[in-house]
Amino acid sequence: MTAVLEVNDLKHRFGDVEALVGVSLSVDEGEFVALLGPNGAGKTTLVRSVTGLIKPTSGAIFVAGGDPAKAGVRQRLGVVQQDVGFPRTLRVGEVVEGAAARAGAGPETAHRALHEMGLDTVRKRRASDLSGGQQQRLQLAMGLVADPVLLVLDEPTVGLDVAARRAFWQTLAERRRRGTGILLTTHIVEEAAAVADRVVVLDGGTIVAEGTPAELKRILPGRRISARTTAPIEAIRAVDEVVSALVEDDTLVVTAIHAEPVVRVLFELDRNLSDLEVTTPSLDEVLVELTSDKTEVAA
Amino acid sequence: MTAQMMKLEVRDELLAILREPAALFFSVLMPVLFYTMFIGIFGPGGATDASIIAPYGTFAVLAVVMLSPGIGLADARDRGWLRVKRVSGTPLWMTLLAKVIAAIPYALAVLVAMTVAAVLIGSMTVDVGVLLRVFAVLVLGALPFALFSLAVGARAGTTASSAILNAVLMPMVIASGLWFPLEIMPDWVASIGAVLPTYHLAELAMVQVEGGPWLGHLAVVGLTAVVGAVVAGVAYRSARP
Repeated sequence: MTAVLEVNDLKHRFGDVEALVGVSLSVDEGEFVALLGPNGAGKTTLVRSVTGLIKPTSGAIFVAGGDPAKAGVRQRLGVVQQDVGFPRTLRVGEVVEGAAARAGAGPETAHRALHEMGLDTVRKRRASDLSGGQQQRLQLAMGLVADPVLLVLDEPTVGLDVAARRAFWQTLAERRRRGTGILLTTHIVEEAAAVADRVVVLDGGTIVAEGTPAELKRILPGRRISARTTAPIEAIRAVDEVVSALVEDDTLVVTAIHAEPVVRVLFELDRNLSDLEVTTPSLDEVLVELTSDKTEVAA
Repeated sequence: MTAQMMKLEVRDELLAILREPAALFFSVLMPVLFYTMFIGIFGPGGATDASIIAPYGTFAVLAVVMLSPGIGLADARDRGWLRVKRVSGTPLWMTLLAKVIAAIPYALAVLVAMTVAAVLIGSMTVDVGVLLRVFAVLVLGALPFALFSLAVGARAGTTASSAILNAVLMPMVIASGLWFPLEIMPDWVASIGAVLPTYHLAELAMVQVEGGPWLGHLAVVGLTAVVGAVVAGVAYRSARP
């Protein structure tokens, strides 16, 4: 596989604040990488460095082998940014046709991208009059006209309803099949787990974990067992492999290294227990554990 | 590719002007209304040539060239649209240059409207050659002011840019005698006006009609361009993306 993005030992300082402390990562052709971490982890700084908006203090970035600080290299990127407002004076069609022309493509490419994102019916409307979800799709349409080697998506599904979100992921899946690499930041952790090949967790400007969603879930060993039961909580706490046990809304919730000994004891103590559930930790929980900000899980 | 990108940038900027009727009203009609009102109060001073419109024309062109690029740039920055342009591979200098280029036809439109008003109310005799020279001096001479406008737009938000640029422009316009003749102003105002680039731009336009020394006026306008370029360069370098 050829890397479409390579980030080597990237450092960035804002005055006394170290926003990135030696970050290295890569995205291969057709690979989908999700970037997660709490607010202030350095995700925006990383995205802005990759898209050539800011110059890193040190380190190197290559997009398709070139430096994204150069305008010609940035033309090979498709980008959906956060907090973008379109000008009041441009129509949807004009915005996408402009993006196509800037990428050296013709109006037919723009029309295809508008169709792909379901925006053909609003092409004559002012871009700023579109709903938040439509504006997100418009940005993606702009990003797709360049037939990019790398798509950088910063919170792309904010404001999209379920159907639009599904269509959005389908579009991206199609692009991946054609070899486009994708770097995504999102607040919706389970969404990232569902679509990404690899998850990179950033905290305090450094990568604290990296792997497939399944690999990351294995970072937190153990199972969560819950049931409605009359079994005494002290007896459950006495089981060797139990880490914690408490009662929440008439339900016993147990965290244990392995589920089987707990389940066995529960059945011995209460044959009539109900609503038994055994689950693995969610990626949300893993992130809380991995990052310094335990109060919030955010991308 | 570069020419195609530039064409698009200019097109977007021109559409931004044409599709904002309120901005057109204030930038084109207001100077013409001011002109009509002041000519009504002070009279044309016996002039029947293009000297009637030189001072008011200077004001009208500066109002466009000093306000439009800077406020447009601040708005694009506030919206995040400038970031979109930059990641699309459009060089920043092209976006900025397009804003200045788009202001030129806008400024010419104001001058034409003012000329029509001057002919209608002031019985101005049109000498096409002189008029074209006045237009050329005013439009080209106003471009250095666009650099200051862009410098403000690169650092301040939309509302602040509008306030700052108006706060700079209006006192300069009054102290340079572009609205009221300097003869009726206190001496201290006239002495301030004599060092302002706006005054020298108006005088350079006046020289096209009445003749006289022009090198000093041109030097001040040229110096304005150099200082403007330095200020703008510093502002862009430290501006947030």
